[in-house]
Amino acid sequence: TRCTDDLLDTVPNDRLAQSFFWKTENDAKFAVNAAYPYLDDPNRIFRRDAYSDIGHVNEFFSVNALVEQNLDASSSVVAEEWTFAYNGIAAANFVLDNIDKIPVTDANTAALAQYKSEARVLRAYQYIKLVGLFGDVPLVKKNISIEEARQLTRTPSNEIWDFVDAELHEAVDGLKDTYPAADKGRMTKGAALALAARANLYAGRMEKAIAAAQAVMDLHVYDIYPEYGKLFSYGAENNIEVIIDRQYLKDVLSNQVFAIMAPYSVNNTTSPSPNMYVPTKALADMYTMNDGIPITDAASGFDPYNPYTNRDPRLTFSLFVPGSNLPNGKIFDPRPNSGTPDAIGSTYFAPSTGYAVKKYVNIEDLNSKTNNGINIIQLRYAEVLLTYAEAKIALNQIDASVLDAINDVRRRNDVNLPALEAGLTQDELTDIVRRERTIELAFEGHRLFDIRRWRIAGDVVPGNVYGITYDDGGTLKTIEVPSFTKQFDPSRNYLWPIPQNERVLNPNLSKNDGW
Amino acid sequence: FLPMMLLMLLSLNTFQIQAADTVIKRESISIEFRNISLKEAFHTLEEKTNYHFFYSTKAVDDKQIISLSLRDENIETIVNELLRVMPGVSYRIRGDQIMLKKQRNTPTEPAAQPETSEPATTPATIAAQPEPPSSVVTYQITVSGRVTSETGEGMPGVSVLQKGTANGTSTDVNGDYTLSISEGDAVLQFSFIGYLTQEVAVNNQTRIDLAMQPDITTLSEIVVVGYGTQKKISVTNSVSQVQSEAITQRPVTTLGQAMQGRAPGLTVIDQGGMPGRSTTTMRIRGVTSLPNNNNPTKNNALVIVDGIEQSLDYINPNDIESMSILKDAASTAIYGSRAANGVILITTKRAKEDRVTVTYNGYYALQNSVNNPEMMDVASYMRLQQVAFQNAGLAAPDMYSDASIQEWTTSSDREKYPLPNVWYDELFHTAPQFSNNIAVAGGSEKFKARMSVRNMRQDALLNGYDFDLKEVRLNSDFQISKKISVSGDLNYRRMRSTAPTLESTIYDRIFHGSLFTVPKYSDGTYGLSSQGHNPLMYAEMGGKSNQYTQNIIGNISASWTIAEGLKFTTQFSPRIILTSKKDFANSYTNLDKTRNITKAVPNNTLNEARINATEYTINNLLTYQKAFDKHDLSALVGYSEISNVTDSLSAYRERFYNNNIQSISQGANDGTKNNGGNDSKWGLRSYMARVNYSYADKYLFEANGRYDGSSRFTGSNQYSFFPSFSAGWRISEESFMSGISFLQELKLRGSWGKTGNQAVGLYSYYQSLNASAYSFGGTSVIGYKPTVLANPDITWETTTQTNVGIDAQVLEGLTLSFDYYKKRTDGILINLPIPAAVGFAAPPQNAGVVDNKGFEIVLGYRGEVRSAFKYNVEGNMSVNNNKVVSLAGTGPYISGNDIDPRYIIKEGLPINAHWGYATGGLFQTQEEVDSYPTYAANTKPGDVKYLNLNNDDVINADDMTMIGKSFPRITFGMNINMSYKNFELALFFQGAGDVDTRLSGALAEMGNNEGFVSDVVTGNYWTPENPGAKFPRPVKRDLRNVNTSDRMIIDASYLKLKNVQLTYNLPLPLVERIRLTRASVYASATNVLSFSKLKEWGLDPEVGSGRALYYPQTSLMTLGLNLQF
Repeated sequence: TRCTDDLLDTVPNDRLAQSFFWKTENDAKFAVNAAYPYLDDPNRIFRRDAYSDIGHVNEFFSVNALVEQNLDASSSVVAEEWTFAYNGIAAANFVLDNIDKIPVTDANTAALAQYKSEARVLRAYQYIKLVGLFGDVPLVKKNISIEEARQLTRTPSNEIWDFVDAELHEAVDGLKDTYPAADKGRMTKGAALALAARANLYAGRMEKAIAAAQAVMDLHVYDIYPEYGKLFSYGAENNIEVIIDRQYLKDVLSNQVFAIMAPYSVNNTTSPSPNMYVPTKALADMYTMNDGIPITDAASGFDPYNPYTNRDPRLTFSLFVPGSNLPNGKIFDPRPNSGTPDAIGSTYFAPSTGYAVKKYVNIEDLNSKTNNGINIIQLRYAEVLLTYAEAKIALNQIDASVLDAINDVRRRNDVNLPALEAGLTQDELTDIVRRERTIELAFEGHRLFDIRRWRIAGDVVPGNVYGITYDDGGTLKTIEVPSFTKQFDPSRNYLWPIPQNERVLNPNLSKNDGW
Repeated sequence: FLPMMLLMLLSLNTFQIQAADTVIKRESISIEFRNISLKEAFHTLEEKTNYHFFYSTKAVDDKQIISLSLRDENIETIVNELLRVMPGVSYRIRGDQIMLKKQRNTPTEPAAQPETSEPATTPATIAAQPEPPSSVVTYQITVSGRVTSETGEGMPGVSVLQKGTANGTSTDVNGDYTLSISEGDAVLQFSFIGYLTQEVAVNNQTRIDLAMQPDITTLSEIVVVGYGTQKKISVTNSVSQVQSEAITQRPVTTLGQAMQGRAPGLTVIDQGGMPGRSTTTMRIRGVTSLPNNNNPTKNNALVIVDGIEQSLDYINPNDIESMSILKDAASTAIYGSRAANGVILITTKRAKEDRVTVTYNGYYALQNSVNNPEMMDVASYMRLQQVAFQNAGLAAPDMYSDASIQEWTTSSDREKYPLPNVWYDELFHTAPQFSNNIAVAGGSEKFKARMSVRNMRQDALLNGYDFDLKEVRLNSDFQISKKISVSGDLNYRRMRSTAPTLESTIYDRIFHGSLFTVPKYSDGTYGLSSQGHNPLMYAEMGGKSNQYTQNIIGNISASWTIAEGLKFTTQFSPRIILTSKKDFANSYTNLDKTRNITKAVPNNTLNEARINATEYTINNLLTYQKAFDKHDLSALVGYSEISNVTDSLSAYRERFYNNNIQSISQGANDGTKNNGGNDSKWGLRSYMARVNYSYADKYLFEANGRYDGSSRFTGSNQYSFFPSFSAGWRISEESFMSGISFLQELKLRGSWGKTGNQAVGLYSYYQSLNASAYSFGGTSVIGYKPTVLANPDITWETTTQTNVGIDAQVLEGLTLSFDYYKKRTDGILINLPIPAAVGFAAPPQNAGVVDNKGFEIVLGYRGEVRSAFKYNVEGNMSVNNNKVVSLAGTGPYISGNDIDPRYIIKEGLPINAHWGYATGGLFQTQEEVDSYPTYAANTKPGDVKYLNLNNDDVINADDMTMIGKSFPRITFGMNINMSYKNFELALFFQGAGDVDTRLSGALAEMGNNEGFVSDVVTGNYWTPENPGAKFPRPVKRDLRNVNTSDRMIIDASYLKLKNVQLTYNLPLPLVERIRLTRASVYASATNVLSFSKLKEWGLDPEVGSGRALYYPQTSLMTLGLNLQF
């Protein structure tokens, strides 16, 4: 083929040109499939909790530790979250911009409507996260050019909440209640409504949050899964409580939850780092006794020498605590000088607080630690119930439905805390629902948003990081993570800074206050 | 390297003789002699042809009067006819000499049979086998003598010519010659390449001895330039030439190493000698373009071997005849779009018309690591930990108690009390390396060939490596007719290398996370660190990664001399590179029996890849050369195209039955298997032209142009034009300079031109959709969407360069060359960040301007050319100032972070400058801490005082500033060669200046984390008792004091004695006795001495910033042998 005209006009055959696309319904399906990988991966979810009071970045020199300790506009984490969300938005916009090019027939109308709605929900999902992290952000509703991107300004968050709410409600009609097995994991009506409940709760629009949560309940598609202890196991994938999850597939599309979260002694992988994020004393202490009484209450019967007995079962379902059984059959012993690889201080891979996250750490992954197929839940029915309750309490519309909602969560079969009785005040219920939300949804990526909404971050975040309390030859010792002081400046830290590079590239983007 | 020269001369000399011979033999001669003396007849014939008659008047009565008439006869017939009047005389033709002598044995025989001349292929034997005196009937005058070199040795191969005639010979291996001349007042001319031609009047002397003098002017040198050659004196551009002897002088593994310090303006950074996969970076006149992850080779010079683009790593140093480094735009513009980073032209050796010579070059070397950081001793380390834990407000683990330190220090049971870090001793050992190269060359007038075969093997300092290189090159030349010649070359190279699969992990774990580990227990199991690491285990258990590369390059060319001065050359070259890789990672389990830590790798895995690349190059050139009066004109037009097709295939499987079953089909056939592949194709089409004009070798002018089209661009951006102009003025040729005798040569040069860089990913203009994977309900699905924006507007980067230079030669042996240049690169192709709100990755864009300005000096001196002790010195230095001029209003771009090197690309700074905090020493008191903003909470005395450069109330990224340069501003090299009789000593110094290194990882963390701690820190960290310490206070699990700052920057300037070599040339009589023409042995040492601030860290200064996670730099102790027969 030399000496012919095509020498310089090479056409690649190892990639698909956009010009060939958008001909059939299947193209729309391909495009919407490409927007799903922008649901949060486990690392993204866990680290959000580590930036709050209930978690800690174990590897003291990682970029995440810098975010946890003292955030900076040049942080790569901040920039990456921004970029990832906008990539997800562009993937959804790619569907919405082009799907109408496909000739509509009777046969494909419903499918195209469904794909369009899925894209809308996926786009709204990203905006909820963006506003929660950054406040006002540019509202991008279609694929834009570089020049257009340089002209963007930040849209007030209220307008974005309006947009998100409208989009989610508009999407409901196109979606189905449930899908057959081969489409499990696609966005459902319930997903759209539950996200609308979340968005409106974040926006402080309690009436709308209540209505959306109520709409999810009224679907009668979802319920509380009876066993909290198995909720994050392979056996419970796609269970009745799951509304949105990021689906994984061992060997093919795998995650590394086990490798990054299982205690070091059972892990033996050092890449990625084990125990990437560990729970703190603040979280462990938040679990009540199994009769619902907080351990700080003198009457609780809490025994500091046996701190994990008679506690809310969710404590040991969610966390590895000293004495927990490890997936390899051994006992977790993180006490300093314990002689196990988990001994605090023996290496920075060992959990620095003495706690480790148990959610999603499944025995099935023991021999394939970096190849896990467990689906990662993004939104489940318990959150909807707690959102309903929180919104009602905030409006002081306290009625039986509020208690029912909370009790449904607390009285799950294997949790079985005593039911809340009528007569609790708005303040009492506010405390209860916040604690429920924190412990029920611990390490599911909510806490950072919640302490911002509740404006309590300035109280709960700053200071040193503490871990287990243990009996050291008769005296109690509490682990303090060395050389680590979390900082939180209430005058600015309730929002992340707009990434510095984004502001360089587009000076029209204003700063957040204080940054 | 002298023998190399001898060889060249021999062949050149004989070539001339043969050429003359050839012409005459074919000539038909017509004569018409009427009543003239025989002497006059000879004389006429000598005038008419190139033959010369030699005879003694005793044997031949030349006063006889003869008459003879012949038409269109050859010389033999004519001589036979003439002999009819000379009974008893026979003749013999040797080359162009016709010797007449008396027949002693058969006086009665009427007409002598001509003694057939020696085969044309061995004319050199004229001199080598002089007629024994007894058999030589005296000629008119026979002159003999010995020609010696400047060292007083006999010099073989010197051409001895009777001036104004073709009568000549060359000296034999002893430097002796014998020449019969027809006239007593003749003048003899002695010449040899690289030596001054000398003339001696015979004046009836019969013995003339002569000492040759080296030609220090080197004015006659030929320089290889783009698509041709030029006389060095008429070069108007900035070109450095490296000769083969400089390349093969010292034993090297790669050509890159051989070129280090050899040419000004060429910076070679040698970052380690991993067998077969060494890493040298080569830059000509600085970094022209902004670095780009997609194109790591974007700043590399274009390498052209015999007209074909190749990788420098793929060339046998022994095959190289010469190497030209084209630096300014005027010399490179003829390579257009690929020339912005300079061009390296390599010409391989070809056979000369000569007897067959066999050359052997071989060496055996021992490699040792020159990168040997010293770990702090165990007691000091443990006490440092006490302090570090205390400073962190923590109780130190029991292991660091005073009692434990005592036990650890005194115990000799290193299984129970392992030393903190013994990896350099445990892992590295002396490793051998050898290379054998045999070349056979020779040929006749019609056919010449040179074949070379090479085998190199290199073991590594560390087990698990292997490297074997085999290659053969055949260069052949056919002279089809006087006007048409054809060449065919073939080069096959096979490289097989093995490295540990966990290679990068090994280097990482030598420093990090592997303290207090027993390398191997006496029962053969491995120890594990608290993090579960053991680099020895990784090296021995991790599995092997094999790479197998085959290179096949064919090169066919033909040239046709259409008319005098007009020549057409065409060249076609296919090039095939086949790479196959096989990375097998073993499964294994190891339990540290005292620590009770297990390292388990449950699954073994295999990654295989095949990459096939095929490239065709076509070059067509038409050249014209014409000289008239004092005008000299040459011109060239050409066409070139390159087409490349590359495809790759990869496969992955895991869970093989055991670690020995390594065939891809044997792995688990389930969802874990994976495969992939890529196809790509690119092309380049170019038209080029050049004109050279000179007047009286005094005023020189050159213009170049290339019109280049590339498949990497589309539409009107596909083609671009790259012009250049240069001019030179040889002031020393002017009449007004004639009085200045100390100045032998002075030339002023100037050039201007544009070159390009097309280094951008393929299909960047083409909006494509990328496949992604997701799963629903346990079934995987495919998704499509764009991931990278396309940019249809991309085009070349353009570099505009201006150069002025001076070449001078003063006094007897001092040469000087100076160049000043200014280079500006516009429209740099870079994936400029774009607002993330676009949602797709940034496409390459033409944006950004980078400047390089600098100068280069070469100074040479050749001393004492007439005594037995000779020396010559050549030094070169270049200074390059690099600056990012514009980033199209974007940036700065910062990469790296607090705990690793951080670089910035920012307008006004050099590319990738080190970026970080400025510091003001250590805080000494709490009051000082309280009165100044601090980087970290709870800052204490002994912590680093990061300077608050912007005077706000915090220390943050806004306080950072430029803290160093990552690329050397100054590079230099110096060669010193000395010889005394048969000994030669060569020293080679090389270095760089104004460059900085930022060490990171364990090398910087001073024990605050879990790694190696350099001995440099011992006793030199801040404590209240030691407030003047160099290093700050240690704080366990806290890196506040080792942030990227000016404290972490180490001046990486260095001077190295890169090579010392002592050569002994065996005396010629001995050499001859063992039937060789030349033999020498040498001993050499590389990386002998170095001077650098990094030395106290035990590091090699060329290592660069970062965590030192690489195969160490090595030193070589070599014994070598060069033979020729």
